[in-house]
Amino acid sequence: MIERGSSVPLVELIGLRKVYGRTVAVDKVDLVIGAGEFVVLLGPSGSGKTTILSMIGGFVTPTEGRVRIGGADVTALPPARRPTATVFQDYALFPHLSVAANIGFGLAMHRVPKAVRARRVEEMLRLVGLEGFGRRSIHELSGGQRQRVALARAIAVEPAVLLLDEPLGALDLALRRQMQEELVRIQKRLGTGFVHVTHDQEEAMSIADTIVVMNQGRIEDSGPPARVYLRPASLFSATFMGESNILAGRVAEQGRERVRVETALGLLEVAGRAAPGDKVHLSIRPEQLRLGPAGPEDIPLGRARVTEMSFQGTHWRCRLRAESGDVPLLLRAPVDVAIAEGEPVELHLRPMDLVLLRD
Amino acid sequence: MRLRDLPAIVYLVTAFTFVFLPVVVLVQFSFQDGILPVPPFKGFSTRWYERVLENRRLMEALWNSVLVGLLSSLTATVLGFLAAYGLARGRPRWSSVVQYMLMAPITVSYLIIGMGLLITFNAIGLGKSLLAVGIGHVVINLPLAFAILYSQMGEHQANIERAAHDLGASDLQTLLLVTVPMLWPALLAAFFIAFTLSWDEFVIAFLLSRFDVTLPVVIWSMLRSGLSPELNAAGTLVFGISFLLALAVGLMLRRGRKND
Repeated sequence: MIERGSSVPLVELIGLRKVYGRTVAVDKVDLVIGAGEFVVLLGPSGSGKTTILSMIGGFVTPTEGRVRIGGADVTALPPARRPTATVFQDYALFPHLSVAANIGFGLAMHRVPKAVRARRVEEMLRLVGLEGFGRRSIHELSGGQRQRVALARAIAVEPAVLLLDEPLGALDLALRRQMQEELVRIQKRLGTGFVHVTHDQEEAMSIADTIVVMNQGRIEDSGPPARVYLRPASLFSATFMGESNILAGRVAEQGRERVRVETALGLLEVAGRAAPGDKVHLSIRPEQLRLGPAGPEDIPLGRARVTEMSFQGTHWRCRLRAESGDVPLLLRAPVDVAIAEGEPVELHLRPMDLVLLRD
Repeated sequence: MRLRDLPAIVYLVTAFTFVFLPVVVLVQFSFQDGILPVPPFKGFSTRWYERVLENRRLMEALWNSVLVGLLSSLTATVLGFLAAYGLARGRPRWSSVVQYMLMAPITVSYLIIGMGLLITFNAIGLGKSLLAVGIGHVVINLPLAFAILYSQMGEHQANIERAAHDLGASDLQTLLLVTVPMLWPALLAAFFIAFTLSWDEFVIAFLLSRFDVTLPVVIWSMLRSGLSPELNAAGTLVFGISFLLALAVGLMLRRGRKND
């Protein structure tokens, strides 16, 4: 069912640009989405992620660029004639129709016979776990149930691409977690390409095959969640995807695929390319800072003093100050760690955990 | 009940007495068993209601009022809906200017609107008639219908229409299957408010009608020949119908809010 790696990509965005008056909402975005892929557009509000979704869905006409779906250029087509369906942030359910009529609406518009429609509606209700809710009114449903109806209504028309505009934003945390899992389950089962917009990086990581990090209308980074988290491509990406220690520095020496960077913590060697004299940033995730003396393969970071510790359940969140350069650092220590506030500790790092960022 | 609540209760009772006493007296003396609708109350009788129902002038006027009310309210609601839909969805340039101009008639007194219409109709050769009264009622009710409907066409409703388009509905299908049914409570509310106002309206109806007149105009002309419990009975009927309509509007708007 999932045609991963088939020759024609599911969605292609080519040089997509959208300008509102003087504001550039989306700036020259190129993106390829494969069949059966669960893509999450992640970014702060105003980063252009929803605008991109609206341009794929046909609700917003791009100022420049093309949108292709399944190889066909749909840039000029209205939403009704695109093989897309949208789950709206406010669900946008039809308040005057029953749950079943909501889900069957798209099928009715496509002139699907009544009997087939009824069967399909039942199937959708089962898929989203709302069996027996068909005759209810929308007003009788909770937020989470409305969410499921919106999802069922959109996938009932068997779109090639399902667009989800912050669909879980209005749900409480526990329900959001549950719906994230269900979205992934439903997506894998249908094999439909999902494009999901969110500003919640934890949500993005838990559901995406590919995360596309957006900032100020541009794509900062895109790739599998683990790669984007562990080896972020840009400074923005590193800071937006969870907490990180960012060290400013200047390139001192350039080797083959490696550079040495002069930082407040000393001269650090990192994989990547940059010209000598370039100003760069290095990123270290708090859980990748390690306590104790460095081994032969490790990068020593010298000594630091613990200034603050707070217990987080799964770990200790520690604020440190490095002795060299008085650099503030953030460290995640295991719950059974034997350190205390005010005490000195020794820090090191595995070479693979140090990431060179472009600005 | 505590003592410190007493002033509030006295105030409340006084205020309601002030507002409702005239209506209560009107209704009470419509049942007067006598020829004068003034105290003392001589006993209960429904004969004045029988007189009203037998009074051809009153019954014709009642029918005229219903006709003018239905048609003018329907017209005002349809025009108000189209204006609101166009402004909310089309978002034309100068939208706020157009909105202001649509709402402007609310600030003009009925007397001035009536005079203006009288002069205009004279100029174009449309005589005093129920049609003229109906047009006058559209003029005064269009702003209200527009305001009620426009307030119900926000971004949420726009998203619902987008969802319909997204699922394959044409513009016409979206309008008929989603927009109108979704706004049904607001449409009914606009219609009933317009009908209630048309039903009660005197000044414009008086200025723009001649032979066929509406109920308030007949009641007014009958008043000139003196008080009679028959007029109280007619007034009670007018009030009763207005009251029921206002109640209906309240229920519609409540349903409309629940739908959000």
